Amino acid sequence: MTGTPPNAARDLAIETRGLQKIYYSGFLRRPSTGLEELDLEVQRGEVFGFIGPNGAGKTTTIKCLVGLQYPTAGQAFLLGKPIDHPEARRKLGFLPERPYFYQHLTAREFLDFYGQLFDIPTALRRNRIGELLTRVDLERVADVPLRQYSKGMLQRAGIAQALINDPELIILDEPMSGLDPLGRRLIRDLILHERSRGRTVFFSSHVLSDVQSICNRVGLVAGGRLRAIGSIDELLSEQVENVDCTIRAPGDVTLTGQLVATQGEERILRLPPDQLDTLLDQVRQCGGQVIQVLPNRKTLEDLLLTELGRNQPPAPPEASS
Amino acid sequence: MNRIWAIATNTHREAIRDRVLYSLLFFACVILVSSLITEEITIGDQEKIMRGTALGAISLFSSVIAMFLGVSLVYKELERKTIYTIASKPIPRWMFVLGKYTGLLLTLGVNLAVMAVLYVVILGLRLGMPDPSLLAFLGLLFIELMLLTAWATLFSTYSGPTTATAFTLAVFVIGHLADDIWSFGHQADSVWVQHMSEVLYWVLPNFEVFNVQAQATHEVAIEASRIATAAGYGLAYTAVVLIASMLVFQKRDFK
Repeated sequence: MTGTPPNAARDLAIETRGLQKIYYSGFLRRPSTGLEELDLEVQRGEVFGFIGPNGAGKTTTIKCLVGLQYPTAGQAFLLGKPIDHPEARRKLGFLPERPYFYQHLTAREFLDFYGQLFDIPTALRRNRIGELLTRVDLERVADVPLRQYSKGMLQRAGIAQALINDPELIILDEPMSGLDPLGRRLIRDLILHERSRGRTVFFSSHVLSDVQSICNRVGLVAGGRLRAIGSIDELLSEQVENVDCTIRAPGDVTLTGQLVATQGEERILRLPPDQLDTLLDQVRQCGGQVIQVLPNRKTLEDLLLTELGRNQPPAPPEASS
Repeated sequence: MNRIWAIATNTHREAIRDRVLYSLLFFACVILVSSLITEEITIGDQEKIMRGTALGAISLFSSVIAMFLGVSLVYKELERKTIYTIASKPIPRWMFVLGKYTGLLLTLGVNLAVMAVLYVVILGLRLGMPDPSLLAFLGLLFIELMLLTAWATLFSTYSGPTTATAFTLAVFVIGHLADDIWSFGHQADSVWVQHMSEVLYWVLPNFEVFNVQAQATHEVAIEASRIATAAGYGLAYTAVVLIASMLVFQKRDFK
């Protein structure tokens, strides 16, 4: 894959244009689409969450980006270079999903091996390995073979190998998968730390609460296509379906909205956002008081389910009796 | 170069931490030692029988270890998905194949050295120091192992260990019967069969070219030109098979 990225002037961290991957399987080599003309732009310095259901194309996209699979068509660029350019690979850190590592190595040997693949000088490599082992909290077990590590420890070792070259772009495939809350927190902190250093982090995840809490922007992929992309606010602000308004007003006053609950003199009313002004006027006119206005936003999970629902084939009409 | 060496040493380290390798090497050493100390049960020219059996054991076990390690060389990386973290690094795929192959040769070299030292020490204690023809035997055996391993690597780049073992074993057997293929073809009346046998003879590897076991057993001097021809043939053939492995591996998608 050669050429210059279409948006070279914008200096993107990741850019794909019409990226397509078709798999052929079985005796008759039947085609199945893994990825269908994916156009994606990830800015430098942002944490980008890549979400979607199983089989949506998240891992296929990542495999194409990091050189594990060849795209059938389209273009892809990392840090302004074609994906197979050595310069792009040199500045890339990658953690695969459910990583498998050399069980016979200790964490220190393991990191040293990956450091050598980047031609990092010995002294610098040793320093960096020491720092990384501390950061991922594996210093005490640095000389224990990886076969004795728990899943969480392996994941942390994996993150350390992804950071061994101090990468500008870090791609993580399901980094939170199967981790306990402490493990997830450590990975989340590592991602945020890299963001604070101006690094770009692109990661796929099923843990949507984590995506929502740490990502600048999110891409939603389903059926091999990008269905939605934008900042959390952009994607979810339009999705404020209703507002829960807690007010204190005389009991005989009729107010706009559906009564959800009463707590003493306080009433919680649920109403569409465009009726909020009306309610506030009513409360003021009757001498009442607004205690709290809480917008009920859609979560990423709701967004995901909505997008998936949109892509479901229509249900077949019921047979008339 | 450093990167190839990093992969080679990691491959070597993985092999020497594998218990199966030690079992094979231990078994080889047991056979080797017993062939050198059981002169009482041999008849005829005892020295030659002892040497012949021991050298045969070295040759056979080296080949078995080469096949055992070679067929899973690349496949293991794919099956365990360790390739994912390597293929995403700034290391071309041909370099990866070359590194794995070099690491395997390192292991085979160490194994061969262990067996050779055992042979020399035991034989030296009983019959005196072996003839220099032993060096030619060991050198050509190593080149045969290089070629056999290159084939195993090629099969390992696109198939599972069972298929790769079957193919490598087939190459090993056919390679030792190459002269028979030629003879068989030339006994046939059909010109077509004759041509076919010639094509097969030249395309398939001829492992008998490297076989100087009889000379080493009888401690007969081996001509330098014979050694040079065999070495040149072996190295050139190995290079071709290795390049084919790299080309196959270059095209692979890692699923």
